[in-house]
Amino acid sequence: MNPDMYKKLEDTIKSRKDIFLLTITDHPDSKLIGSKALLHTDGKLFTNYHLPANLKQRLIENCDKFIRKKHSGSVRFFSNDASVECFAEYFPAPLHLIVAGAGHVCEPMAEMGKMLGFYVTVIDDRPEFANRIRFPEADEVVCESYINYFKNIDITDKTYILLLTRGHKFDVLSLTELLNRNEQPAYIGMIGSRRRISGVFEEIRQEYPNESFDHLYTPVGLDIGAETPAEIAVSVMAEILKVKNQKSGSSLSEKIKKYAKKGFHEGGGTWNKCTS
Amino acid sequence: MEQMHLIRRSLEIMKGGEKAALATIIRTKGSTPRKAGSKMIVYPCGRIEGTIGGGCGEAEVIEKALEVIKTNRHSQQRVDLTKGLFYEDGGICGGIMDVFIEPL
Repeated sequence: MNPDMYKKLEDTIKSRKDIFLLTITDHPDSKLIGSKALLHTDGKLFTNYHLPANLKQRLIENCDKFIRKKHSGSVRFFSNDASVECFAEYFPAPLHLIVAGAGHVCEPMAEMGKMLGFYVTVIDDRPEFANRIRFPEADEVVCESYINYFKNIDITDKTYILLLTRGHKFDVLSLTELLNRNEQPAYIGMIGSRRRISGVFEEIRQEYPNESFDHLYTPVGLDIGAETPAEIAVSVMAEILKVKNQKSGSSLSEKIKKYAKKGFHEGGGTWNKCTS
Repeated sequence: MEQMHLIRRSLEIMKGGEKAALATIIRTKGSTPRKAGSKMIVYPCGRIEGTIGGGCGEAEVIEKALEVIKTNRHSQQRVDLTKGLFYEDGGICGGIMDVFIEPL
């Protein structure tokens, strides 16, 4: 590894793209062992080590399976009769959390987002709210109109969007802007009381009859009785993790209680079989 | 990200002209404490930064890494965690992992 290559690796992750770091871990020519290269998901290879052209080509061919499976792994192959081993290390791009509205709830949201390894963007149209002093941990603090921002932002299945703007109308405007685009984010959460939202939701539903709204969560958060900004952030973050990990969001103890009612005792069944 | 931090550290070490070795898990089989890609920097005095899982397995790798620093030659070490299964310090894992060790 050298500084130039490290910078490329870091920049790619920062631009929220997956990348692989390849290391030659075995080769008959010991000078080549330890050589490194970066492999982008589009199959482009970058290296500033002196690798034979044929070996580069074979690396791309043999590491393609890791790009498809999205995980690290080792592979052994032949390149010009030389048996080569390569370790491909997967650096997944971080999930992107966009918090629109830099008010009270946004602060613990941004902090928790960073704690959980998200790439965090805070966006607000008011400079006195969208600034570095209020959000030192965020990866990006954007001061721009919501509509402009959501018109141009990159949206992938790694994007998690939270609408917490000061006025419900900005949330709705942002939401319609997002619905107008064809890309589907993993999660769109919109804050608001049940009563206020049901009316808006009905209107939007009529405007977008073909939309499934599967990824729209409103009101936001899990039902834990959250009131303070920090509590709300926990509730919303728990919901985001639930969506990301595709889990139920219910208490783990619930399952055990269900089994207990059926007379389940750990290991009980097996022991009876063994002794009889 | 921890991995990135350790790569950055190894660059700093190289820049500063210090000697050390970087150990990376490149293959695992069965149950191992850490997965492929986990890294650990070993300094000549035996101090480490990062972990590849701790216990006897890690100690074996540290020993090998000190050799790598001395000889300035890459090496691979297979750590067999199935052996120590019944020993007190055998850990609770029962897998095998290959570790690539490179001089910095």
